[in-house]
Amino acid sequence: MSRFRPPPWFVLLLPAIIILSAVVLIPLLLSLYSSFTPYRLTRPETLYKWIGTYNYEKAIESAHFWAAFGRTILLLTIALNLEMLMGLGLALLVNKVTYGQRTLRTVMMFPMMFSPILVGFQFKFIFNDNVGLVNNALQSLGLSNVAIPWLVDGQLAFFSILVAEMWSSTSVFAILILAGLFAVPRDPIEAAKVDGCTPWQSFRHITLPYIMPFIYIALAIRSLDVARAYDIVQIMTNGGPARRTELLWTLIGRTGYVDAKMGYANAMGYISIFLAIFFTIYFFRKLNAARSELGMAG
Amino acid sequence: MGNQRLKSLLCATALVAVAGNAAAGEFDGVTLQAKLIGGQQYEALYARIGEWEEKTGAKVDVISKKNHFELDKEFKSDLAAGTLGWCVGSNHSSFASQYPSLYTDLTPFLTADFIAEYVPSNIAASKIGDALVMLPRAQFDVSALYYLKSVYEDDDNKAAYKAKTGRDLAPPDTWDEYKEQAIFFTDAPNFYGTQYAGKDEAIVGRFYELVIAEGGQLFNDDWSPAFNSDAGKRALKWFVDLYEAGAVPPGTTSYLWDDLGQGFASGTIALNLDWPGWAGFFNGEDSSKAAGNVGVKVQPAGTAGVRTGWSGHHGFSVTESCDNKEAAASLVAWLTNEDSQKLESSAGPLPTRTAVWGHVVSSAEGDAYRTEVLKAFQAAASHAFPAPQTPYWIEATNLIYPELQAAILGDKSIDDALSDASEAVDEMMQENGVY
Amino acid sequence: MNENLQYRIRARLLKVLHFVTLFIAMAIICVPGLWVVLNSFRPTVEIMAKPPVWVPGDLNLDNYRAMFGAVGEGGVPVLQYFTNSLIISVTSTLIAILVGMAGGYAFARFRFKGKASIFIGLMLTRAVPGVSLSLPLFIVMAKTGLIDTHMGLILVYVALNVPFTIWLIDGFFRQVPVELAEAAEIDGCTRWQAFWKVEFPVARAGVASAGIFAFLTSWNEYALASQLTRSTFSKTMPVGLRDFTSEFTINWGGMCALAVLMIIPALILTFLVQKHLIAGLTFGGVKG
Repeated sequence: MSRFRPPPWFVLLLPAIIILSAVVLIPLLLSLYSSFTPYRLTRPETLYKWIGTYNYEKAIESAHFWAAFGRTILLLTIALNLEMLMGLGLALLVNKVTYGQRTLRTVMMFPMMFSPILVGFQFKFIFNDNVGLVNNALQSLGLSNVAIPWLVDGQLAFFSILVAEMWSSTSVFAILILAGLFAVPRDPIEAAKVDGCTPWQSFRHITLPYIMPFIYIALAIRSLDVARAYDIVQIMTNGGPARRTELLWTLIGRTGYVDAKMGYANAMGYISIFLAIFFTIYFFRKLNAARSELGMAG
Repeated sequence: MGNQRLKSLLCATALVAVAGNAAAGEFDGVTLQAKLIGGQQYEALYARIGEWEEKTGAKVDVISKKNHFELDKEFKSDLAAGTLGWCVGSNHSSFASQYPSLYTDLTPFLTADFIAEYVPSNIAASKIGDALVMLPRAQFDVSALYYLKSVYEDDDNKAAYKAKTGRDLAPPDTWDEYKEQAIFFTDAPNFYGTQYAGKDEAIVGRFYELVIAEGGQLFNDDWSPAFNSDAGKRALKWFVDLYEAGAVPPGTTSYLWDDLGQGFASGTIALNLDWPGWAGFFNGEDSSKAAGNVGVKVQPAGTAGVRTGWSGHHGFSVTESCDNKEAAASLVAWLTNEDSQKLESSAGPLPTRTAVWGHVVSSAEGDAYRTEVLKAFQAAASHAFPAPQTPYWIEATNLIYPELQAAILGDKSIDDALSDASEAVDEMMQENGVY
Repeated sequence: MNENLQYRIRARLLKVLHFVTLFIAMAIICVPGLWVVLNSFRPTVEIMAKPPVWVPGDLNLDNYRAMFGAVGEGGVPVLQYFTNSLIISVTSTLIAILVGMAGGYAFARFRFKGKASIFIGLMLTRAVPGVSLSLPLFIVMAKTGLIDTHMGLILVYVALNVPFTIWLIDGFFRQVPVELAEAAEIDGCTRWQAFWKVEFPVARAGVASAGIFAFLTSWNEYALASQLTRSTFSKTMPVGLRDFTSEFTINWGGMCALAVLMIIPALILTFLVQKHLIAGLTFGGVKG
């Protein structure tokens, strides 16, 4: 009688699905296949040799891999939580400002203008132990008379990377939460004031539920995107010294491109994808819960 | 038979091109795609490509210009994708052995006389087996000893050193003396005796040359690891001792060449084993606090009486899949011929042709610093040896350097670190079917 | 009376505290960035000096002059990089927003089977580590001739940004009451008109911020760009930063100069888009 008409939601989603399949899915299948081969970039013929799950077994047995895995989770957890808290604080501070807020918002987003690779170089110089900004400042102010090896000491190197990562990404949280703050209706807060609620109470019970979805959006986006930190870490420490700051991305990147062992690198990549899947689904569920609290569930 | 004739024909054409009087329009209509290393230091030479195009009628299409490491990544990706339609690529002696199938043997395209004009050791380092896979450009690197003259002219230092050791204070000639002086000069955190590259291939290269200087070897002839030896332990101990004594900046294990260069240029490092490319930078008023205070000397020797001399050079290669190898070889020869090397070395880098060495030295006459630099590096070059020529060199360095760092930082003992590294390299070699 | 005074003092104190905290926070945000800007005007010898030089004694444009100079004398094809970056980022942002708006709208307004899984599936494409992606992408692009072209990078960046834009815009559309659009439809608008006249203006804030994010991601992306570009024909500015590093050296002053050229357009754009963000939000007052 009539031609098949796909439902409108499908038509709307089609462009996204097409482009993501072309750019992500197909390459991903290729690399999934290669993770079952001893594929070396410099010897293309190795792509056609099937070795089953050898690469996966090797990764699972590798202590270095699990150390990097654990360290990545640690970095993710600490960084995301701190960024979220600081972003929230920053957004609240800026939200209170009545004059010059537009400029302030732009300033707040300043670090987002910095390419991660630039952030890497920048903080490498800032934390340089001999001529770096931080040590120079500490020494000039008389707070320290030794050259603190920021990028070498196990804890400090981790801390330095964390600082660089937080500097570059807290803005993302702040701007999203700020957008959420704008969406908070004024009336209930006014009403709460009249009813004698303390500012904390009205924040806790009115503002926070409203901005929760935004916080989870920000968390989820950042947990997906946190691999951007690869550029930063790669430039700052490249996982060193002595694997003290080795993260999954530096390990995989080096194995794949420098050692040219792409098959093995892809196997490690696939194991680590589960990490991302876990974080994303976790925040997604949280997001839906927060939304249904506001009656916005889809 | 036909093949043979073709080959001799190619030789003949190459000969003409190489002699620098290419028949006009010899390669008319030929377009060569090239992937060249980019960056300030390397690009001045590329102005000569235009001249070659004019002479031969060919066109050169530079389809990629990248930093050394990015280019390496691209070559590997090209091998993987099979996108090898291009002809000429920048190459480096330490990386060349990683792509054994990528580049063609240049010997058939060049005369023996032409090849003999290069420094023999550079030609040797440009070969994989018997195949000459690259022609060296005037970008030869070997490290010599840079030092601050003021430190050695200081009377207090002289007296204290004499009192302490009974010897006169002079720039060191052995690595033990170097270590001793570095510790002696240190006044942390404002002044350090020395520094070293602390990660990646860089530290393994330094370790490698010290192992050789101590009379050992990094690999046996079958490429099994040989560095877990007394010589290897002495070499690693040198790094560990300096770090433990605080004679190097505490961040040294995160340093690469740029950090080292900036460090010495800040005037806060007494002794620095470094590359020739820095000579101008270190003595430049605009770039260095150490300007006017820089001395250069041949690199010290280890206890085996051998001097260190890990070296490498940049060059150009022609791909195996290139459809116009003779044109490509002619371009490569042109970019590394005498005039090209004179042009390139006039900016500071070291040449790889015997005649150009003479030219460089004589044109530096009257410039005391430049002469000192060239003398030191000429001596340094005579002790030079290339990185181990195995396709797995870079992969091996990635296994070795975290262990070296672990020993330096005190996470592991020297013995444990070396035996762990050795075991990892052994496993890697076996997995790759080397033995 | 007394209580009132106390209250006023407390309010004053809070105000001062707010100001001080805000100032410190902004300082922490700005200093590392301004340090880069400052370094772009200083000679390397002063940046790396020890003991440090705190009061810049020698500010000049040498790094910029060198950057625009001839190749071999410190010159870098900045203008070409800039044009490439601009074309690639702007185009990919526009496409990503269109695709993202369609997708976001679908998720916010329609109910269908497997919605949650499709949504998560789309989001997870973003979770793929760049390393697993970069080589297959290189192979595909090399085979299809898209390598080292604007088109290739635009495609990749659209794919990179679409999950974000969908997610963000979805969130903003959800904030728009369905009743608004329905009311418009009752008033005789088509669904299409209702979307542009009612829902889009309200969600404009979301589109604006998604746009900023998409633009900045494309503008600053390095890892994939370094793999998929080769020559000045398509190299973007973050890849161009690498021109200041060679095997043994790094020209930090020069790198800072290029960085400043990267930051300024992004900053201007962000500032301009802020206006729309505010406009969208003011209009959004309806929903309160």
